[in-house]
Amino acid sequence: MLKLQDLTKAYRTDEVETVALNNVNIEIETGEFVAIMGPSGCGKSTLLNIIGMLDTPSSGHYFFKDEDVAGYSESQLGVIRKQHIGFIFQSFNLIDELTVAENIELALLYHDIPAAERKERVAAVMDKVGIAHRAKHMPSQLSGGQQQRVAVARAVVGNQSMILADEPTGNLDTAHGQEVMEMLQKLNEEGTTIVMVTHSPSHADYARRTINLLDGHVVTESMRSKI
Amino acid sequence: MLLNNYLISAWRNIFKHKLFSAINIFGLAIGLAACILIALFVRDELSYDKFWSKADQIYRTHITFSVPGRDPMDMVMTPGPVIHALLKDFPQVEHASRLASQEPTIIINNHYFVDDISLVDEDFINIFDLEAVEGDLNTALKSLNNIVLTEKLAKKYFGSNNAIGKIITIDFDSYKRDYKVAAVIKDMAKNSQVITDALVAIDEPAWKEKDWMFDAWFSVNSHMFFTLKKGADIKSINNSWSEFIDRNFPKLPFGGTGAKTSDFVHMTSMSIKDLHLKAKGDGEYHEIGDMNTVIIFSTVAFLILIIAAINFMNLSTARASSRAKEVSLRKVLGASRKDLIIQFLGESILITAIGMIMAIVFVEFALPIYNEILGKTLRINYASADLIYVAALAIFVGLLGGSYPAFILSHFRPSETLKANKSAESDASIKLRSILVIVQFAVSITLFVSTAVVYGQMLYAKNMNLGYDKENILAVKEVYRDVVLKKLPLLVDEIRRMPNAISVTWSNFMPESGNNNNTLVRTEKQALEDASLIGSREIGFDYFKTYKVPLISGREYSIERGDREVLTDDLRKGLNYTGSIIVNESALRRLGLGTADNAIGKLVFISKGNPSENLEATYEIIGVVPDIHFDSLKSTIRPEIYDLSVNYGSVISARFSGSPVAFTEQVRKLWEQEIPSIPFNYDFISAAVAKQYNAEQGQAAMFAAFSCLAILVACLGLYGLASYTAERRTKEIGIRKVMGASVFDVVKLLIWQFSKPVLIANLIAWPISYFTMTLWLESFVYRIEDFFILGFCLLAAFTALIIAWSTVAGNSMRVARANPIKALRYE
Ligand SMILES: Nc1ncnc2c1ncn2[C@@H]1O[C@H](COP(=O)(O)OP(=O)(O)OP(=O)(O)O)[C@@H](O)[C@H]1O
Ligand SMILES: [Mg+2]
Repeated sequence: MLKLQDLTKAYRTDEVETVALNNVNIEIETGEFVAIMGPSGCGKSTLLNIIGMLDTPSSGHYFFKDEDVAGYSESQLGVIRKQHIGFIFQSFNLIDELTVAENIELALLYHDIPAAERKERVAAVMDKVGIAHRAKHMPSQLSGGQQQRVAVARAVVGNQSMILADEPTGNLDTAHGQEVMEMLQKLNEEGTTIVMVTHSPSHADYARRTINLLDGHVVTESMRSKI
Repeated sequence: MLLNNYLISAWRNIFKHKLFSAINIFGLAIGLAACILIALFVRDELSYDKFWSKADQIYRTHITFSVPGRDPMDMVMTPGPVIHALLKDFPQVEHASRLASQEPTIIINNHYFVDDISLVDEDFINIFDLEAVEGDLNTALKSLNNIVLTEKLAKKYFGSNNAIGKIITIDFDSYKRDYKVAAVIKDMAKNSQVITDALVAIDEPAWKEKDWMFDAWFSVNSHMFFTLKKGADIKSINNSWSEFIDRNFPKLPFGGTGAKTSDFVHMTSMSIKDLHLKAKGDGEYHEIGDMNTVIIFSTVAFLILIIAAINFMNLSTARASSRAKEVSLRKVLGASRKDLIIQFLGESILITAIGMIMAIVFVEFALPIYNEILGKTLRINYASADLIYVAALAIFVGLLGGSYPAFILSHFRPSETLKANKSAESDASIKLRSILVIVQFAVSITLFVSTAVVYGQMLYAKNMNLGYDKENILAVKEVYRDVVLKKLPLLVDEIRRMPNAISVTWSNFMPESGNNNNTLVRTEKQALEDASLIGSREIGFDYFKTYKVPLISGREYSIERGDREVLTDDLRKGLNYTGSIIVNESALRRLGLGTADNAIGKLVFISKGNPSENLEATYEIIGVVPDIHFDSLKSTIRPEIYDLSVNYGSVISARFSGSPVAFTEQVRKLWEQEIPSIPFNYDFISAAVAKQYNAEQGQAAMFAAFSCLAILVACLGLYGLASYTAERRTKEIGIRKVMGASVFDVVKLLIWQFSKPVLIANLIAWPISYFTMTLWLESFVYRIEDFFILGFCLLAAFTALIIAWSTVAGNSMRVARANPIKALRYE
């Protein structure tokens, strides 16, 4: 699916240079479930943002489906991103002024899909994540777990082939965290590639492979043998 | 100490939010400045003639002649003999005086001057409190040989020397007399319709030769003022004018046997305090105002204030959410709601105070131009209560704009607002804000459309085809004076001989000056009772050639063809001959004379002299001209005859080619050589016609300027709101971008957010504009079509959208381009 080669990302602020990612080489196959772990500030979010094409690397190569997108402009990346990648965030990032259904529909809004079809797909995905009865509610009226389910629905409604999740369970209690993880696992079983940042080893266990980062370096990659 | 703390924190807050404060202060300053300027104008307009000690008792009489089939002729003057009948018939009248303004030639030590001299009755000084500087005012007007001068004229004539006892020779044309300066008075206030520079008593017998001045019932040449005795009601007089007229006026020669004079003549008296804004009619000596203008400008001022206050409110409540944390913390630390309200109101008032100081600076900068446009001398009088009014205005706006935000802010609950990830603002306050933006834009759009209509109408009137060519005509004035009339043929001849003169003529009127001379005209088939009252103008040879008016049929007067006028004195002597006459199309229709071609050669009979003399002259129609707009476009063209007047005129008109200055200088040289006693006075017809629209043009410009200010203030507010909104929506926009929205999608979204209120505002503003402006246009006889208003509405909508978009676009672009991870990162 994607391949990072000698990828480096440095932030320059007021003469101080922070190297968030240093010479990272990672390959992720289609259909994989990958967890990224590491201490705070080691560059997990930075890595995920670059994979998600929300940010561009300072140097190195990023092959997405055999296409080197490292030097692409923001709008070129935008086109690929909206076609292939869905996002789930720790803080849900739902729009407060829109209803649950409208928030989910947002992921289809910029895709030239007729309104009727949009409605249909939104209804289907809400059913799938079990929040159909909350369709007309505002995000502020939902619990954290419910909000994250809406976010998951939003990430998959566009049939994106890859989902990037940055600490999707970080703001949730154990039970709700479990729920979201099961949902991700199910999606992965249906064929979606998933890359997830997490601090929780138990949640990392859902993934087939864990990448450990330290100070911008990949330290270990461990495969979990299928039981 | 607490107050000090509030002030410091208010001050810091103003600095911390620079954009917000700058927009608020600047918007307020502009709004307040506009308000102050308008208030100065309105106050001046309302102050006219209120300062007389007898203001409540002083009235002026007006007269209207309603001739069947014609627009009524409203005059603010009164026939001369009315005063004697008034004093005889109405015991409730205390004092009465006429006032006729003349411009005689004044000779002092062989120096010639032309100045306004007022002819008044002795009682004048008992009606108006004039302040004598020198001499005895009480006895001054008892002698017919005395003159009272204002300080201004005394200084002009005699420098710093004592003027009392000095001799001034005045040539009124009817008579020439040596006047002795008996008193000098203070210059009169400018906010008055009764300004005079010099006073002499009316000597009726001396005016016998020009009896229309003071002794004709159907001629008006002077104002008449009277005071009512204390306790008397003006209604007792105003209700009995009809009987008064029938008792005193001679009977009119038309309307049949049953007709009374009061069927055609109406009189009324108006309080002096109302004259400036409410008097309607011809014959004012000084420019009057218009109540509508005062109302319109007061409304505009109020609207600008509202817009400024709305800005204030909107920006403050919008910012409220970002201050929610501060409020909550203060509450947690023990501040009561009252403390917070005081704090926020204090901030508002501090902002308004700064805005007010800026506003005063703006006003001082704008006043010179403003005064020039309005022809006034308005100023803020810092030594008077003016400053208090201005401060009160600022505090009012500060409270108006600040109280709602203060209420909202102080209402926040710490438990809710300290919780992260929650918008502190309620839906209601967001909704209120969009309603207020709609109001602002509705007001702005209405002002825009109104301005466009006012301007459009003015341009239309200015550029309307008047029926003659007003360009390149020099008008030489002062011709009516006896010394000049004696040399009229010579002057015309000499000017005609100048190489650049194309055509020269004379007349008893200037095209723009209004003319209310009328005479009875009938055809051979009509009896005297059926005669029509028709407007009459007197012209010389070559008049229509000079003014480039093509005749519809026939020809105009020429010396070679032996055209002659019928002299009234010849009629009195019993001499009978047929004169030549030119009529306009309306007159043809009124007289029922058929087509223009058929009318040539027909005879008409025209009344001459006083009605009592029953003199009629016979004329043959030699030419028909189209209806020409010689009068203001506010009146319809009346039926008119153009009488030949070989020996009389008030203006010589000369069409020239080449340089206007060179030609004028040539004519001036001729004039100074032939008539050294009277200063050369001239005008260009095009300029004189344009002058008619000076006041309207000034007011239109003022209206446009204030509308622009209103729109500017509204835009400032929108800009502030847009930058606030963009800030508030960064997270949402980040999410949308992650979901695949392009920069264009985001800009579209934000622009639509601000287009919606503008579009709704249009829907509100259009009907209001259309209704008020069609109403306004109704007062014009010749006016732009109503569908122009619709055009202006569309233009306003378009402009408003463009303005709103360009105001919002900058912020939208910035936000739309920002990398979404930044927005999503910091929560
Ligand atoms: N926009 C930025 N400008 C400057 N430095 C940045 C920026 N974004 C990240 N960094 C720095 O890059 C490093 C990696 O940050 P990143 O957010 O990827 O860490 P992380 O592993 O996601 O941490 P956490 O577990 O706390 O979320 C940090 O040292 C951070 O300070
Ligand atoms: Mg992170």
